Amino acid sequence: MTFLIAQTEEPSLWSPEWLPLLPKRLVENLLEHFNAPEWLISLGGTGAGAATVLAVFMTGFALLSLIERKTLARVQNRIGPNRAGWFGILQPVADGIKMLTKEDIVPAKAEKLLHLLAPILIVVPAILALGVLPYGKEWIPVPMELGLLFFFAVGSLTELAVFMAGWASGSKFPMLGAMRAISQMVSYELPLVLSAIAVIMVSGTLSLPDIVSQQGGFHLGFLPAWNILTPWGLVGGLVFFIASIAEANRCPFDLPEGESEIVAGHMTEYSGFKYALFFMGEYLGLFAISGLGVTLFLGGWQAPLPGLDFVPSWIWFFGKLAVIIFFFLWIRATWPRLRMDQLMRFGWLGLIPLSLLTIPAAGIWSLLQRSQHGLLAWLVTVPLLLVPFVIMTVLFNKRLARSNRTYRFAES
Amino acid sequence: MIALLILSPLILLAALGAVWKARPVHAALLLALTLSLGGALYIALGAGFLGLVQFMVYVGAVAVLIVFSLLITRPRDEVEEIARRPKSLLPGLLCTLPLLAVLLYAVGRNVPETTTEAVELPIKRIGELLFTTHAPAVLAIAILLTAVLLGAALFAREPSKKP
Repeated sequence: MTFLIAQTEEPSLWSPEWLPLLPKRLVENLLEHFNAPEWLISLGGTGAGAATVLAVFMTGFALLSLIERKTLARVQNRIGPNRAGWFGILQPVADGIKMLTKEDIVPAKAEKLLHLLAPILIVVPAILALGVLPYGKEWIPVPMELGLLFFFAVGSLTELAVFMAGWASGSKFPMLGAMRAISQMVSYELPLVLSAIAVIMVSGTLSLPDIVSQQGGFHLGFLPAWNILTPWGLVGGLVFFIASIAEANRCPFDLPEGESEIVAGHMTEYSGFKYALFFMGEYLGLFAISGLGVTLFLGGWQAPLPGLDFVPSWIWFFGKLAVIIFFFLWIRATWPRLRMDQLMRFGWLGLIPLSLLTIPAAGIWSLLQRSQHGLLAWLVTVPLLLVPFVIMTVLFNKRLARSNRTYRFAES
Repeated sequence: MIALLILSPLILLAALGAVWKARPVHAALLLALTLSLGGALYIALGAGFLGLVQFMVYVGAVAVLIVFSLLITRPRDEVEEIARRPKSLLPGLLCTLPLLAVLLYAVGRNVPETTTEAVELPIKRIGELLFTTHAPAVLAIAILLTAVLLGAALFAREPSKKP
């Protein structure tokens, strides 16, 4: 099938670059040793590769849930979880056991089948999306020619899953939460995809490994040639990361599940392990979308400085991922939640026009770069992006200063 | 071939379910299933790009749009009532049969030289074709869809009460 890219093989077994692929190759070699048929070898290898990715991100999910609570606690001058194990290191295990042993409650008015399917359908796209990201020079679980398209295509399933959860629960808070969630996800998927289009235009491919390898090398000997260090990439990257916070339903865009407003949104009527699945889907989705951001704008697994290539490339990938996720935690700890109208206005009047602007900027940039007019490219694209941004900011501030807050439903 | 044999009855079943289900939400979800299975069929037949685009556009946008409009307008009772009426079968058939005839005629008239091996266009070529040869059609569809959306929004909106 031409759907997949052929991979180049075959280096020494134990080199650090190939370490994450060890399980896959061990299974393959073992099956080959027993003269297994061809399809079984490829099936076993793929399974082991998928298991590696899952193991890494499940561990990451457990660790992140602890690190998030610890970080939030430090920001709020608390200590955070510190009872289970050393510095609370066993807290994720305790949480997991608690979730598994809780009673699974299905409301009497719920649609049983859809109520069951929704948490599953939340987790599956996130795992599928994690499969196509290039984690390292050699560590690409599913090297797909249309990787970027695949990522967004499976991502669109999430919205249906949220709808199913909200509707099948048969009560009002999940319904309100699903309405909020879907309108937010639809609005913020646009800037997400539009800013990715700029990257596609410049790199001329939909394959994620190719996009990363095109960001290799250094300008002036030390500046990495990442997309975020170009005018359109900076704007596109910022838009992408803001929109990805919204896609992941995290603070300050956590209206769909804002505890103080609508209990837990579409997850209100779930308990026990199904609730844990929603949580897992959310965090895996967060990993996936910030991993895509790292791939598109931050150079993927490329080292940040020349001469650092001796470190295995996947360490750079996960380092960048950790930095991005720490920023997300930081934002969550310090920003208040937006109001619904602010959310919509910010998305439709702020992010979407900006991300639309990155497309012509990227086009001009790549044309001028190709014809060796590097300086001219900067001179044209910077004003093209900066001037509308300044105008928009001024207009926004004016509007904010003029309008008084009105409380339509809360007036005494 | 195996994929075709497995997928096409599933698609038919899902599509029939989407038509027969009385509750609009079930029908919408089954429609989403039908469309995504169609995408899977494209991928199985070697048209990966088309399949993924089908997923993104029809499942990610069209199905979500339908579902969202169901959430906002909540047409539950009346639509269920209408769907249960056997009377609605006749107008439905009257609408779909001519369409089916036209489609059959169109497909039957230009049967291409049958090829057994899949011919895959590179993505760049698809993009070039879309934005040069077929650009008028793309633009026309875009305008039509916008008009449809605006019309639907106008219809669905309740007459606003003056405060």
